[in-house]
Amino acid sequence: MASVGIQIRDLSVKYGEKPALREVSLDIPPNQIFGIIGPANSGKTTLLKCINRTIDFVTTASVSGSLLVADQDVRRMRNVYELRRRIGMVFPLPVGLPMSIYDNVAYGPRMAGVRQRGELDVLVERCLRQAALWDEVKDRLNLLGTKLSGGQQQRLTLARALSLEPEILCLDEFSIAIDPVTTMKIEEVLLELSREMSIVLVTNLVQQARRLAQNVAFFNSSRLVEVGETKQLFTKPREQLTFDYVTGNIG
Amino acid sequence: MATITGNLNERPARARRGYSSLHRLGELAIESLIRLCGWSAILFVFGIFFFVFREGAPMLFGGLDLVKFFTSTDWNPVSKTPSYGILGLLAGTASVTVLSMALAVPLGLGAAVFVSEFCSPKIKEALKIAIEMLAAIPSIVWGFIAYMMLNPLIIWVTGAPVGLNVLNASIILALMSVPVIVSVGEDALKAVPDSYREAALALGASRWEIVYRVLFPAAKNGLLAAVLLGIGRAIGETMAVLMATGNANQIPTSPLDRVQTLTATIAAELGEAVQGDDHYRVLFVIGILLFVIAFVVNLSADLIVRGIRGKQNA
Amino acid sequence: MPETAMRGNGSKHFRYFVAAKPNGSTGDGTPEHPSRSIREAIEDIRVRHAGDSPSVQRLNGYDRIDICSVFKGPTTSDTKQRYEFFVDPLGASDLAIGSAQLPWPDLESALEGVAKMDAEGAIPLGPGEHLSLSVREVFSATPVDRRKRRHERIAQVVLGLVTLTLVVPLVAILGHLVYKAWPVLTPSFLFENPRNQMTAGGVWAPLIGTFYLVFISLLVASPIGVLAGVYLNEYARDNWFTRVVNLAVVNLAGVPSIVHALFGVGAFVMFANMGESVLAASCTLAIMTLPVIITSTREALASVPMNFREACWNMGASRWQTIRTIVLPNSINGILTGVILQVSRAAGETAPILFTGAALYMTIPTKGLRSFFPYSLQDGCMALSYHLHVMMTQVKGASPEAIEAGKSLPLEHLQYGTAIVLIGLVLTVNSFSIGLRMYLRSRKKW
Repeated sequence: MASVGIQIRDLSVKYGEKPALREVSLDIPPNQIFGIIGPANSGKTTLLKCINRTIDFVTTASVSGSLLVADQDVRRMRNVYELRRRIGMVFPLPVGLPMSIYDNVAYGPRMAGVRQRGELDVLVERCLRQAALWDEVKDRLNLLGTKLSGGQQQRLTLARALSLEPEILCLDEFSIAIDPVTTMKIEEVLLELSREMSIVLVTNLVQQARRLAQNVAFFNSSRLVEVGETKQLFTKPREQLTFDYVTGNIG
Repeated sequence: MATITGNLNERPARARRGYSSLHRLGELAIESLIRLCGWSAILFVFGIFFFVFREGAPMLFGGLDLVKFFTSTDWNPVSKTPSYGILGLLAGTASVTVLSMALAVPLGLGAAVFVSEFCSPKIKEALKIAIEMLAAIPSIVWGFIAYMMLNPLIIWVTGAPVGLNVLNASIILALMSVPVIVSVGEDALKAVPDSYREAALALGASRWEIVYRVLFPAAKNGLLAAVLLGIGRAIGETMAVLMATGNANQIPTSPLDRVQTLTATIAAELGEAVQGDDHYRVLFVIGILLFVIAFVVNLSADLIVRGIRGKQNA
Repeated sequence: MPETAMRGNGSKHFRYFVAAKPNGSTGDGTPEHPSRSIREAIEDIRVRHAGDSPSVQRLNGYDRIDICSVFKGPTTSDTKQRYEFFVDPLGASDLAIGSAQLPWPDLESALEGVAKMDAEGAIPLGPGEHLSLSVREVFSATPVDRRKRRHERIAQVVLGLVTLTLVVPLVAILGHLVYKAWPVLTPSFLFENPRNQMTAGGVWAPLIGTFYLVFISLLVASPIGVLAGVYLNEYARDNWFTRVVNLAVVNLAGVPSIVHALFGVGAFVMFANMGESVLAASCTLAIMTLPVIITSTREALASVPMNFREACWNMGASRWQTIRTIVLPNSINGILTGVILQVSRAAGETAPILFTGAALYMTIPTKGLRSFFPYSLQDGCMALSYHLHVMMTQVKGASPEAIEAGKSLPLEHLQYGTAIVLIGLVLTVNSFSIGLRMYLRSRKKW
């Protein structure tokens, strides 16, 4: 699977009058887990929404600046749906669609035109294995996705995100609503997946970023404060604000 | 532990199938159809007012003496010197509405409280179905009941010469409005958060105390809206009151008097009025009046309900 | 008379005063005339609170009796509690010593126990000290509780009766209708046309007419209404215009039916030149049902949680794809229920069709395929609801001779029969919708 990086230049987003992102410039390198940390309302989720253009659904949002994925400016892309298929997204709240587990994972590919049952079978199994859910549900693929536990639904969401073979996988605070065991499982999955795709991990768990990410960016009240290698950012950050946040003095 | 199976490298080469342009075209067509329907619905909605207004406008802005219209009881559209005073009709509509609400509001709110707070789930199901059945009875059937069943009953109980009067119409309208009051009232009571009830129980309140000390104040907007909607139903009813009021244009002095409502007048006289002449147009003016009254009543009820919903989300 | 006070929870507090030092006079337990000794106070208490005579004030709930030693203090209420004993009917065991863990089972044994302790000199009271005997009927009702429960029972009964006054007329009316219509309720009543100037025959022509009107009006109203609901809930931006439209749609559901008739005359009969016809009447009914179909569609769509849609959008599905695959399939229940309810409403309404197409009488074929499709769009038709109105107001009953000869039926039977068919039709459709709703509720997917 190919893997691409993201280049962000002077990205600014406003919800009506309130600024959500202020002139953010950032390079997200490919093939690694890139962590984004920061307190609530610092713009982290807004950034993710800009990456796959779901910011379009927020009617009060106004966006300026450029965001390049694989050297293409996503803001000027005409086929937005293609973009969204190349970027997988996992949200904080687990979402199981009200259909069978099989159909949940097959949903994305079906919408993209894959119809062959054989192809879908292979795809569903692969994605559920990748998401560490296969063993638990392989005998009951007909079960309604909404009837799974929270941790299982989150892995199902991950499987759905992987079903379109994305080049970038974004996760927005994926672990806040699930149990620690599932969190651990998913973290292992992410480490494996980072070999073949770029992963953008937004988290409010500072230690999670420390464990998983190679590079980390720290956001605070809609500005990018600092970005750098994980080790360096956590032991000798350049900004005082970063230091305060990672040591737990603020946030 | 996640394992990526060997299939990874053997998977069928799936070209990234995108949206074929045919697909996209079909989708645009459907979305245009949806937009068209949305707009046409808007059109119809405003059209209702427009077309009624159009037929009545010539009289409304032309020959109709509005002061006499509202203050005179002389309704004589088919005489050589026609007069169009609807005071008697207004009194008719008002009297049956007031009396029916006097019956329906305590019954409806009482039933709403009972269904919501005092009865077991099984009885609740059965009662809700019964009330829905009551609501489903068509208005002409209510007119039938008024004419064939309630009429002799009233004569037998009160000794009045005729059983088609304010009392008859009020009882029928009450039975017709109660389901509206019950269902909207029950929704209002259900919308009060359970935490209020639990807090009151923790302080030792009985169920009845919860109702009149906690629920009524908390749900008063919704209950008011329920009553308003019931009033709207009563004012707008046509076929039932046509059969039940006795159709005598006069200001009633007792519940046993016959009256005539605005709605029944239109129903009774439109067929005989010549299209385009004054009588015809005045009937449309009455229609405009009914439309405005009903719209205002329903709008107030809706805004009151939205007001609470807005406050709760705030 | 002992000092008696009422406490906040409705229980009583009795205080009997004894002299600090035995004096000569007998007292009555008040601070001014204290009893001579604890033993005398106990006797007093026994007389007043134990025993069977009717003037006895039995103790219950959280009542308390104090035996206080008089002292020359500023107020009589400032006595210090030196001993505390308990009476608890529920906590009694064989070994009862009056403590909280082992309370006395009743007042008599409590008084005995206290008397014994006094005789042994175990409970001397210094000036300003008191001994308290508390009744601890935990979880038993105080008078306040009992009053509340009474009120609640009354409320429940009253409200139950109120609700009954709604259900009883429904049952009585339906019963009476069935009883009166019984003689005519045969299949031929449904399948024959009215004849002999409506003194005989059945209701086939009006029944078919109603089906025509309902079918055509719903054919027009449902697609437009459902798609309009989809537009308003899924596509329309949230600005002042859409809010006005929503308000207008919701409130148009409450327009009087006669105003719908006027609209139908103004728009379809006159303006669109349809004349009084099946088409005009159906369109009028369609406009009548449109606002409610739009509203119930919107409610059904809104009940699908937003995060389902977001999950699909993030996977690259377009708005319409999401609606087609997730939103509509999961709201079809609510939409269907809304539409079915409008079916019954369209079947039962009379006013909107009065001047737009309902005909007093039309001859139509009664046999063969044509009897199922007798009406054309440009002409009027008979309708069940209007037919009932006609039967009540414009039909003269048959003469007794005609009834004798079997050529005609008594008017009353025909009237009740028509009413029963109409109500049966409407209630059947409604029960279907209720059944559908209950079935679908049991299959809830989230």
